[in-house]
Amino acid sequence: MIRGTVIGQVWATRKARGLDGQTLLLVAARDADGRATGRLVVASDTLDARAGEDVTVAFGSGARNVLRPGPDNRDLLCDAAIAAIVEGAG
Amino acid sequence: MFLGRVAGTVWSTVKWPQAQGVKLLLVRPYRVGDLPPGAAAGAAGGAPSEPTDDLVVCADILDAGPGDDVIVAFGHAARVAVSEKLPPGSKTSVPIDAAVVAVVDRVEIPR
Repeated sequence: MIRGTVIGQVWATRKARGLDGQTLLLVAARDADGRATGRLVVASDTLDARAGEDVTVAFGSGARNVLRPGPDNRDLLCDAAIAAIVEGAG
Repeated sequence: MFLGRVAGTVWSTVKWPQAQGVKLLLVRPYRVGDLPPGAAAGAAGGAPSEPTDDLVVCADILDAGPGDDVIVAFGHAARVAVSEKLPPGSKTSVPIDAAVVAVVDRVEIPR
């Protein structure tokens, strides 16, 4: 997983069927010291995260488990999902 | 997934038979500094500056073209997207690990 900050949202009407109904947020990744690395991630959001909030993003099967707990979730189109809204890190 | 701009296409005649007919695109990912905060950036409006990251080769099922802003998925999610357009038998066994899954209408970055 990575830690990052939600900076915005992306909208698309022309998309794969598997993305229907997903909210897609833009997350700016942060390094261990909390500095932005420059990397931008598009992540599915089920937690109603808002711009400015710090979040963790899970990838791969971990991301699918956020949308629907496995193991029968390999039909989902999701490779990154917001797994937690971060309140503090030290 | 990442947000990027289509920079070109790749074609080949010798390739994996499981995914004949799948178009390949070159996509350059946006980095944080490429997207100005504030105004909502539309794909057609051209508000974001040119992306600066290294190119990624992606399968394309949405007929995106150069200049389009797109979302690209990696790994199994990419194969799920591509399998939507392939015959049932081929499903998620295609040798692909990146695919365009959406053509972006709008990116909104509040100040």
